[in-house]
Amino acid sequence: MEKLFNRKITVALKYIVVAFVSAILLMLIMSSFAKREYAICGFLTIGLIAIAVTYLTNFSIPMKFFLPGMFFLFAFVVAPIVYTVAMSAFHYETGNYISKPDAISRILATGVRPDPNQTTFDIIIGEDSSKNLEILASDPTNKVYFLSTATTKTDLDPATVAVDENGDATIAPGFHALTPDQQNALDQQIANTRFQYSSSFFITIEGSNVASLKSQTLKYNSANDTFVNVQTGAVYKDNGVGNYANVASKTDFLQPGWRAPIWFANYAKLFTDPQIRKPLIQVFIWTMVFATLTVLTQFALGLLVAMIMNRKLFGRRIYRSIFILPYAMPSIMSILIWGGMFDTEFGAINHLFGTHVHWFQEALWARAAVIIVNLWLGFPYFYLISSGALQAIPAELSEAAAIDGASNRQIFRKITLPLLLQVVSPLLVASFAFNFNNFNIIYLLTGGGPTNTLGGAVAGSTDILISYTYKIAFGAGTQNLGLASAISVVIFFIIASISLYGIRRSKVLDSFK
Amino acid sequence: MKRWLKEDLWRHAIALVISFFVLFPIYLVFLSALSPTGSLQVTSFIPKSISFRNFHMLFTSPTIPYLVWMKNSIVIAGSVAIVSVVIGAASAFAFSRLRFKGKKQGLQLLLLVQMFPAILSLSAVYVIMERVYSFAPHIGLGTEPGLLLVYMGGAMGVNIWLLKGFVDSIPIELDEAAKVDGASAVQTYWLIFVPLATPILAVVSLLSFIGTFNEFILARLFLVDMHSRTIAVGLQAFISGQYATNWGPFAAGSIIASIPLVAIFLSLQRYIISGLTAGSVKG
Repeated sequence: MEKLFNRKITVALKYIVVAFVSAILLMLIMSSFAKREYAICGFLTIGLIAIAVTYLTNFSIPMKFFLPGMFFLFAFVVAPIVYTVAMSAFHYETGNYISKPDAISRILATGVRPDPNQTTFDIIIGEDSSKNLEILASDPTNKVYFLSTATTKTDLDPATVAVDENGDATIAPGFHALTPDQQNALDQQIANTRFQYSSSFFITIEGSNVASLKSQTLKYNSANDTFVNVQTGAVYKDNGVGNYANVASKTDFLQPGWRAPIWFANYAKLFTDPQIRKPLIQVFIWTMVFATLTVLTQFALGLLVAMIMNRKLFGRRIYRSIFILPYAMPSIMSILIWGGMFDTEFGAINHLFGTHVHWFQEALWARAAVIIVNLWLGFPYFYLISSGALQAIPAELSEAAAIDGASNRQIFRKITLPLLLQVVSPLLVASFAFNFNNFNIIYLLTGGGPTNTLGGAVAGSTDILISYTYKIAFGAGTQNLGLASAISVVIFFIIASISLYGIRRSKVLDSFK
Repeated sequence: MKRWLKEDLWRHAIALVISFFVLFPIYLVFLSALSPTGSLQVTSFIPKSISFRNFHMLFTSPTIPYLVWMKNSIVIAGSVAIVSVVIGAASAFAFSRLRFKGKKQGLQLLLLVQMFPAILSLSAVYVIMERVYSFAPHIGLGTEPGLLLVYMGGAMGVNIWLLKGFVDSIPIELDEAAKVDGASAVQTYWLIFVPLATPILAVVSLLSFIGTFNEFILARLFLVDMHSRTIAVGLQAFISGQYATNWGPFAAGSIIASIPLVAIFLSLQRYIISGLTAGSVKG
């Protein structure tokens, strides 16, 4: 055995793997640093140092085992969680996605208006002698010609300028026109440049040969962090929650806003804002009902099947294979198929029973459908678990009870079930926690509906907390990541306390001691 | 004798009813996969004519890269299953067998992070991978390796936890014997634990494979391009929007995608069942 596991080869192999991984990390560190992704760069650097210390020294033996797993866990599970928790403290929704400096420059960029005469110029886009972006502008009607960059404006003498048949200037000293390909390459820069005109007016480019005269209406005063509308005289001040708001009117905001820290305001909203609280309570109740009913029905059917199959029965193996099928099939596909079966007009269910139930249009039926489909998906799991547990119960116990004159029902209630529950209860709790967050079935089967969209509600009748939160964060209307993150943190605490209860009972934690 | 017959009869009756409940949707899938119109719109439960048009379409239609989707799914789920279990096994071994400071806290942290609703950290994962894309376009957002990395992180917690349950059930005497013979922890891991645990590692890999194969939301968010889709995302598109409701090819595709999974599952059910319980219940 020891010869087989030649020490020299394994040591060499170790160094090769360590060197290879380090090289990749080093490459990523350099390129992330170059792109100024300092957080990622820092994380990778710590990873690299950890690898070197762990695998090249004997600093810590357990770390040799943990490091790869920890790396992935921290990068893709822990970091996103921390990020989400942080997001819950911000005003972070549609219209408030960007940082404050970005928001200011965005407001400045959009806070302009064309000059009263709607002046436009025919232009050629080009460069000056020192490669700065420059335009050659012509106003043939008024015989005005000039060159303009972002910082300078040079008037040209109309008498000496060479013009084409439209009266537009074609060449000018020191000016080089850009080819269409060159223009495409500089597309962003061209669109964002403000060319000089006068102290209060500037020129922006509207097309490849048209530019118009604009003036700034919203002016930013960095000294007291306010915007002033020069047209109306309105003053906009930072309102502390991510917008510049009109001092005179609370509802007049400048768009866009930014993601501002608002600490616990998102959490407070959950309890105080009736428009959020009401659907949330409704969804929470249904989530509890859904998870409870799911676990109970799955367990009941699974146990029933396990008890039927627990003794010899003709064709038991075939039955067994059939009953496992829902668990073995890809669940996504099963859910989608069930979705088709519940169709009102053409669905197989209505056809089979000769009914005309509006499964997904009526709240109660939609909820029933969700439970039925989840029963189909989940009972095989409890069948497998229960049949294992049933076999582990010593037969002597029920035999002894039978001799003492207990009926079958008494044996089941007084002996089998309590013993079974002892084994299964942690799994019931785990299953409850899983179904509490069972996003796929809701999202793929009903999409949370039916939803009263006319009433402006986001929450549907079958929405559970997780699918409702998903809608808030990524839905079709206003996306509120801050609020959704706050709800996720709350869900986390609910699940954690349920699971901790389950763990306590299952004594898993004993092994920690 | 008569009593047995009577009892068996009602057991059969219940078993048949449940079998019908289980098989009904599966029968319908076959029905619609084999129907020439390719709809789930049932007019009769007995097929009037059988056609393999839907299956044929999957393999020949230029607009449906079914085989590419299948390959993507197998490659992604396969790599996640293997790599995450190899990495996870090391951590599980350390949690189960080594003594070190912070072991309890480590296990608790592992449990806690699993309780956070993963769907909700979706946007954070998205932002992180978007940034990764900006400096490493090969492993960032929209790439298969990027999705793989994210899956790997997600699978880690579950796998470590499941595997720890297994490791706990391997008698510690073997390790101690190796220790007496002068083996280091790393040697014990490779020489004693890995050979012993290979069947267990295979089962957890399989569970991980199935889990990844079924994943839908991240895959849809990440893989936009038609040819980099996984089978779950590709097939879902048949019956939502883009293709209107195309049940025929969807059903045919589902059947083909299910066969390998069901076959593996049925043949390994004994091991899988022990895998299901080990993570939660201490033996």
